[in-house]
Amino acid sequence: MKNRFGVDWSKVRGTRFWNRPAMHRRMFFKSMATAVGGYMLMPQQPGETIAKAAGRVQGTAKNVIFILMQGAPSHTDTFDLKEGPWTPSFMAPASYGGVRWPQGLMPKLADQMDNIALVRSLRAYATAHGLAQTWVQIGRNPISGLSKIAPHIGSVVSIELGPKSADRTLPPFISLNASNGPGAGYLPPENDPFYVNPNGGALSNTVHGDGSAALDRRYGLMLDLDTELLFDPTAVGSSLSENARFRENARKLMYNPAVTSIFSFDQNVRNSYGNTTFGNACATARNLIKANMGTRFVQISFGSWDHHANIYQPNANLQSMARQFDNGLGQLMADLKADGLLDSTLIVAMGEFGRTVSTLNQTNGRDHHVQQSAFFAGGGIRGRQAIGVTDSIGSSVLEPGWRGDRDIRNEDIEATIYSALGIDWTTIRRDDPFGRGFEYVPSSTVDYVFQPINELFG
Amino acid sequence: MRASSRLIALIFGATSLLLPQLGFSQDDVTSSGTNCSFQRDPDSFLTQQARSRRDVFERAKSMNVNAAAAAADTGRFAVAATTIPRRNFIDDAIFDKLSRTGVQSAPLATDEEFFRRINLDLTGRLPNAADMRAFVADKNADKRNKVIGDLLYSDAFTDKWTMWFGDLLQNTTNSVLTGRQINGRNAMFGYIQGSVAGWKSISEIAYEAVVMRGNNHDLGTGAAGFAAVTQTPGGPAQDSYDSMLVRTATSFLGQSNYDCLLCHNGRGHLDQLSVWGSSTTRQQAWQMAAFFSRVRYGNYPFPAGTPIAEQQASYYSNSRQVDDVIAGQYDIGVSYFGNRPNRLPLGTTRSITPAYQFTGATPKGNYWRFDFADNMTNDRMFAINFANRLWKAMFNMALADPLDQLDPGRLDPANPPPSPWAMQATHPELLIQLANELKKRDFSLREFLRLIAESSAYQLSSRYSGDWQLSSVPLFARHYTRRLDAEEIHDAISKSTGNFPRIGVNGWANPVNWAMQLPDTVEGGGSAPFLNFFLRGNRETQPRSQQGSIQQQLALMNDGFVNARMHIGQSTTLTAIAKLTDNAQIADEMFLNFLGRFPNAFEKGRAVAALTKANTAALKNTTLEDMAWALINKLDFIYSY
Repeated sequence: MKNRFGVDWSKVRGTRFWNRPAMHRRMFFKSMATAVGGYMLMPQQPGETIAKAAGRVQGTAKNVIFILMQGAPSHTDTFDLKEGPWTPSFMAPASYGGVRWPQGLMPKLADQMDNIALVRSLRAYATAHGLAQTWVQIGRNPISGLSKIAPHIGSVVSIELGPKSADRTLPPFISLNASNGPGAGYLPPENDPFYVNPNGGALSNTVHGDGSAALDRRYGLMLDLDTELLFDPTAVGSSLSENARFRENARKLMYNPAVTSIFSFDQNVRNSYGNTTFGNACATARNLIKANMGTRFVQISFGSWDHHANIYQPNANLQSMARQFDNGLGQLMADLKADGLLDSTLIVAMGEFGRTVSTLNQTNGRDHHVQQSAFFAGGGIRGRQAIGVTDSIGSSVLEPGWRGDRDIRNEDIEATIYSALGIDWTTIRRDDPFGRGFEYVPSSTVDYVFQPINELFG
Repeated sequence: MRASSRLIALIFGATSLLLPQLGFSQDDVTSSGTNCSFQRDPDSFLTQQARSRRDVFERAKSMNVNAAAAAADTGRFAVAATTIPRRNFIDDAIFDKLSRTGVQSAPLATDEEFFRRINLDLTGRLPNAADMRAFVADKNADKRNKVIGDLLYSDAFTDKWTMWFGDLLQNTTNSVLTGRQINGRNAMFGYIQGSVAGWKSISEIAYEAVVMRGNNHDLGTGAAGFAAVTQTPGGPAQDSYDSMLVRTATSFLGQSNYDCLLCHNGRGHLDQLSVWGSSTTRQQAWQMAAFFSRVRYGNYPFPAGTPIAEQQASYYSNSRQVDDVIAGQYDIGVSYFGNRPNRLPLGTTRSITPAYQFTGATPKGNYWRFDFADNMTNDRMFAINFANRLWKAMFNMALADPLDQLDPGRLDPANPPPSPWAMQATHPELLIQLANELKKRDFSLREFLRLIAESSAYQLSSRYSGDWQLSSVPLFARHYTRRLDAEEIHDAISKSTGNFPRIGVNGWANPVNWAMQLPDTVEGGGSAPFLNFFLRGNRETQPRSQQGSIQQQLALMNDGFVNARMHIGQSTTLTAIAKLTDNAQIADEMFLNFLGRFPNAFEKGRAVAALTKANTAALKNTTLEDMAWALINKLDFIYSY
C-alpha cells in the first residue's frame, strides 16, 4: 500500500519511521481500539461509497464571504489561542463556553461568539505563501499543470448558484482588495472573480468621463458600426460572441443607481467599519449581500499577517492587523445580523498556513508552520464551539474533533463551503470536451477522502 | 489494502512509543508529493488539448461573422486546398492533408488582412495608415516577403520578442521561490533585449540562461537571474536542483512533467498522459537534476563590517551570486524532506550522478551545468520545443498541445506509439521538419519566423464560408484569430490616437512610450490597471490569458487611459483627420488608423451617414471623437485575425 507520498513503506527497510505523518499517542490508541474492534480487517472502502455516505449537503447558506488572511496569521495568537510566558497582556484571554479567545485583541468578535465556530485541527500542506494561498482558494494542490485549469472555489459557486439568482445584474463572484489570483479555470469566464478595490466611491469605470449622454451616443454609434459582427444569418452559430456579452453586461453596470449604492457609502459607515481598507471591503460585502443582485460569493483579501519579527509590538503587526479584522468583521457580522442575513451567509476566515509556536524566534516573531486554524460564522454554523484540539503549544493535532478523525485539510474546508451552500460537493462535472469528469473536491485512491465538517452545523 | 497499511501503521506507531516524540515533523511540509494533482485528476490534463481546440473553434466561429460581412463583395471564402500556391514545405504538409481529408481551405488573406496581421504578430503594433495604403497600392509581386523582412529586422520586433522571451525565461521581480530584485529584473531584461536586438540565436540564449555565472544584478551577467531564483526555500539543496531542472526542462524542452517525476515514478501517475512519462522513473529525473547539483547560490560578498544600512542601500542589495563547484553530487537518503517526498536511498546507492535522459550522456567536465546545456541545446526535443512554441505564436494554436507537456514517446513519426495512443502533433512529420529546419537555420529566431510567415498556410484568411467543424480545427484550414495581448491593446490605443503615455519604470532613468517595452508584467505606472484588466499574467503562477471579462469592456469604455486620448485636443490623429473635408475619406482614415484596415461597404455607409449629420465644425469634432471611441470599443479592435 502506497501512502500519500506514493511510497510503499512496507518494502522500505531502515526508514526513519518517526518522520512519518505524525501519529500522536492518543491517535495511536484510537487506531489500536479500532484494530481491536476489527475495523482494520475490513476491505478498503471505495472513496465513492464514503462520499455517498457523507453526501448529505447542509444547504443552510445562500451566500459566502471568504476572508483570505494573506501572510498566514499566527494560529496560537488568534483562533487557537495558546497562553504562555510569551503572551502579552493586551491579549486579555477570556473563555466563552469552552472556547478560549483573545478578548483583548478582538473584543467585537468576542461579542459575536454565539455565532462563531473555530476549526483547530486544520493543517496546511505547504508553507510557501503563494503556493499555499492558491491552494486555499482552489481547494487542491496548485503544483503542476492543474493550476492552469482548476477553478477558484468561488467560481464553482458561481457556476452552480449564479444562474439561479433572480437578479443577475452583478457577477456571482466578486473579489475585494485583490487584482489577480486564481480564476474560473476551465469554467466559462463569466465565473471569473470580478475584482473591486472598494473605497466607498462608485464602482470604477462605471461612469463615462464625458457624461452619460455622450456614452449613449457613442454606444449607439458603436452598435451601428458593429451590426454585421453581431448579427449575421450566414455565420456559423450566429450567437453573440463572448466579448459582446461582456460588453452588454458591462453596460448594465453603468449609471445604475442600485449598483452605485452598493459600492458607495459615507464616512459614518466607513468609521463604523474601522475606516480601513479591510473595513471598506466589509462594508461593501454587506451591501452586496443585502442588495441580492446576483453576487453569491465575496472574497476579501486581507494581509499581511506575515509576522516574522516583533509580532507583539504594541499597536503594530499582530495587534494592528487584529484590530482592523475585529472592527471590520465584527461590524459586518452585527450588520448582517440586523439585516437578518447572518443565518444565510457563511463567513470563513483563514490564512494559508499557521506560524511557529511557543516562544518567539530570535527577531521576536513567528515563522511559517503547517498547523493552522480557521474561523467560521453564520450560515447555519453552531457557534461557541471549537472543532479539534491541538497540543499544549498548538504544534500539532491531538484530537481531530470531527467524523473524519484526522487532520482537517483545505479540501475539507472547500467541501464544507459547497455543502453549506447546498452544492453537492461530490459532483463530477462532465462538461469538458472528452466528457471525462472534473471533481469539485479532489479525491484520491491513496490519500484521504475529503468531506465537509458537518460538526460545524446544527 | 487499507488493512495492511493500518497494520504497518500499527507497527510503526508501536515502535514510535519507544522513542522520544519530536516537537513536530517536517513530513507534512510538502507541496508536490502529497495530493499530486496529476494523480488526482489526470482527466483535466487530457482535456487541455481538446479544450484549446474548442477555444480556437469558438474564436474562429465568432470572427467568421466579421469575415463574411467584411468582404461580402469578394465572393467565396472556402476553396479547394489544391488551388493554394505552395511556398515551402509547410504548405506541402498543410495542404496535402487538407486535400486528403477533403476539407476546403480558406483563401489567401487579402493584402489588408495580411498587412495588419503580420504587423501585429511580428511587432505587436498596428500598422501606420500611410504604410497600409502604400502596401495595398504596391504592385510588386514580392511585396509580402519584403514586408516580412523589414518587420523582422525592425526595432519593434525586438520589443515584442523581448517580451516573449521575458515570459519564457520568467523574468519578474515577484519570483516565487527566491525574490528577484528590481535591479536583477532589469539586468536580466537588459540581457534578453540585447540578445534579441543583437540577433543572438535561440540556442545561445537558452544556453546562457542555463550556465550563466556571476551576480544577477550585473548587466553583463543578467542571465544568471534565470538560475538565481531557483534556490528553493524550505528544503535541502536537492529541492533547488529539482527546481532548476523543472524550470529548464519546461521552458527549453517543453517537459514540465519532470515536476511530477521528481516526486515519484511516472508509472501509476502519468500513464494516461504521456508514453514517455509513464515509463520514466524518479531516478532518471534525479539523474537529470544531478546536472545542477554543483550549482551554488550565494549572497553578494560585502566586505566584512559593512553596515547593514549601507548593504541595503547598495545596488547589490539582495542580489544573488550564482557559481559552480567542481565536486558534489545529488545525494539521496538524506533525512530532510523539504518540498518533495523523502529521497530514499536506492539499495546501497546514496548519491546520484548525472545522465542525460534522452541520450544517456554523462558529464565530460567538472562543471556539470555546462554539460547539461550542451546536451540540451543539441537535443532534438529542444528544437521541437521551440519550433512548436514559435508555431503557436504565429498560428495561435500549437502543433503539439499543451506546449509544456511534450511527449517524446508520441512525437517521432518513425516510431509511432502503441495503440491506443495517437501521435501528439496534428502534423507529426511537419513538426520534425520544422525542428530540423530551425537547427539548419542556426536557431535564428528571425529566419525561422520568416519561414513561417512566408508560407501560404500562415497567410490564409481567417474568413471561412465552408462547413466549419470542430474536427477541422487541427487541420489549420483557416487562420485562427487571437485576442491581442494586454500590451498590444494598450499600444494600439496609443498608436491609433497618436497619444503616447510616458510610463516610468522602476530603476530606469527614462520612461517608455510603449507597454511592449516594459521589462516585466508588473510595471506600467498609470497604465498598469488598464494592462492588468487584459490579463498579462505574472510570468510564474499566472499565465498570460486571452480571456475576456466585464472589466475589460468597462475599461475600454471608460478607463482614464482611453478617455484621455480620444478627444480632438489630445489626439494628433483626430486633429489631422478633422482637417479633411471628404466624409468618405474621413471614414477610410478613421478605420485605417484605429482598426488597421479599410471599412467595408456597410461600415463606410454608416460612418459617412454619421459624419454627414454633423453639419457644424463643433458637431463634426464631436462625431470624430464618438467614432474614435466606437472604433476602440468595436468587437474586432482587440483581435488579430
